[in-house]
Parts: sequence; structure tokens; C-alpha cells
Amino acid sequence: MNAHTKMVPDDLSQLSDGELKRLELKIARKYSGKVPWIAVIWAFGNMAVWLSLWPLVFTGLLPLWAAFPIAIVNMALVYLPTHEAQHDIIARPGTKLRWLNELVGHSTSWMIVYPFEVLRVTHLDHHRHTNDPELDVDITVNARGPWHALWRIVTQRQPGAKRNSDYAAAIYRAGRTDLILLSLAYKLGHIAILGALAWNGYALEAFFLWWLPYHIAITYIVFFLSWAPHHPGTEQGRYRNTRSWRSKLGNIGSMGMQFHIIHHLHPYIPLHLTPAAYWEMKPILEARDCRLGI
Amino acid sequence: MERALKLVAYSLPLIFAFAFLVPLIDQGMQALGMAAPFGLSTLTFALIVGAVWGLIAQTTGRWL
Repeated sequence: MNAHTKMVPDDLSQLSDGELKRLELKIARKYSGKVPWIAVIWAFGNMAVWLSLWPLVFTGLLPLWAAFPIAIVNMALVYLPTHEAQHDIIARPGTKLRWLNELVGHSTSWMIVYPFEVLRVTHLDHHRHTNDPELDVDITVNARGPWHALWRIVTQRQPGAKRNSDYAAAIYRAGRTDLILLSLAYKLGHIAILGALAWNGYALEAFFLWWLPYHIAITYIVFFLSWAPHHPGTEQGRYRNTRSWRSKLGNIGSMGMQFHIIHHLHPYIPLHLTPAAYWEMKPILEARDCRLGI
Repeated sequence: MERALKLVAYSLPLIFAFAFLVPLIDQGMQALGMAAPFGLSTLTFALIVGAVWGLIAQTTGRWL
């Protein structure tokens, strides 16, 4: 695949709406349809590293203070491969590698204490209702600026927060009430494991290898995946509900979210190809009056 | 059954407090060499703090 093969003519002003749409789709298809093995290796490699921290710390081979930052990185890296799986990017239903798509999702999402199906149902609901004040499950992270966003992300994770009921509402809308029980089972399972470790003398290990890294990572994930790419989160519509933007942490530091607009327009494009798709599609996005920061 | 599950879901902050927060406070204080006030053991102190904090989270819906 050559990202620099030019498909877009220099002057788009003469193109009709339909022609622009076809051109956009042509570029999107160029970057889709192949198995993103990087996401698969990322998912299982990340889980293996995190799981290995436990015996390394318990046996004294790795001090807890050294394992803690590694665990934070591991927790922060859990979500995106499951995100690829949520959108069937690894393999679509009915294809030969479909089992791998589902395996990536189900076998890693437990680290961040969410059933994969809950992530999938609520995230797809977010795509359907992006920035809708009543229906978007991520609307509660809307904030004036980054510090306010961080505060909102923490407060919206509290037991009585609106975000919890928004997620439950999305699950009900999808007719998947079974997932409410599954979510509760995951939460209880998480507490049971933490409790078993803690009451057996490993409370600090449980705290620094799972509980605290989880909370730091979730804050980071929601900041860069939910707040930043949609900010200010007031506009709706295909070409205005998200944006491209320049992160102070760069594209890798913001987990590829600088080009989130491509993901919303064409959610079947793998994460690692969204930058190339963006640059090729940019003239079309400009013609569509998208919110472009880079 | 549904009622029992709702009760469990509602009680998650208290469950978390006694399952994890109490031993965490206890072992954290021991690791830092901190003594509990009023001659209490660190575990007794952790039980009091954990129970109060858990109850606050349970009733207000907020840990912070």
C-alpha cells in the first residue's frame, strides 16, 4: 500500500457531493481490509508483560516501585486493541479469523474491568450519537479545558456518577440487559481478586500493580479518546462531531487520537493507518468544512 | 434474585472498602512505619477509616 499515491485532484470545487463521497470512500477502502497484526501482537504482548509483573514482584526479582510504571503503561495499552476488535477491524463476522477478533477483545478487556461486549455496545452507541447531549455515553466528559476534563473524568467515575447510568442506558437501548449482570460480575470479580490478595498480605502489590495503574490509565484513555478529539463536544453531524488536533504528547503519546476524525468517518480503518488516510483525505475534509487542527 | 443483585450493586462501595481498602490502609501504614492514633492497632484504625469512608461513598455516591 502506497500512502502517497494521489487519488485526490487538485481542484475539488467542481466535484459534486456524490463525487466527493465516492472519492472519500475510495481512499478509506485503500486503507482497510487487511488484518492489523500489530493490534493482535500489541494485545497479547501487553497482557503477557503485565501478567509477568506479578510473579516477578512476588519473587522479589523486580521491585514494586519499578513494576508500578510498567503496569500503568500496560493498563493504558489495553483499550486500543479491544477498540479495533469492537469495530471488527481484526476480522469481520463470517470471516476466517473472526475468532481472533473476538479473542483479542474478550481476553484482554478484563484487565480494565470491562466485559468486551459492554465496551463494544457502548462504544458503537457513542458513534451513533456522538455529542448528543441526551444519548452520547461520553458526553459527561465535556469540559472547558484539559484540567477541567481531568476533574470531570475522575468525578464521572464515582459510584453515583451520571456516566454510569448513561452506559446502562446504552446497554438497555441495545437490548443487551444481560450485560448489566456481566458488568456487575466483572466488578465483583475485580474486588474479589484485589481483596484476596490484600487479605493475604499483598495489598500494596494489588494497589500498585492493578488498582492505581488502572485508575491512572482510565483517566489517560478517557482524556485522549473521549475528551480531546471531540472537544468542545457541542457539534453533531458526520463531518463536525470530531476533529483532527495536535497533541502536546504527539500522535503516539495521544494514542493515535490526533486523527480521530478518520476513525469516526471510517471506523473500519485500523488505528495505525489513520494518519496516512488522514493526509490523503485532507483536501476532501477541508472541502467538507471539517474541524482540522493539523 | 433481581432484588439481591440490586442490593449487591448498591453495596459495591462498602464491599470494596472492607475487601480492599481496610487491608490496604493497614499494610500501607505498616510499610510507612506509621502508628495508629489512640493506641489502636493499624488494623483497627484501618477498619474504622475504611468503614466510614465506604459508608460515605455508599450514601453520597462519591469517594472524593
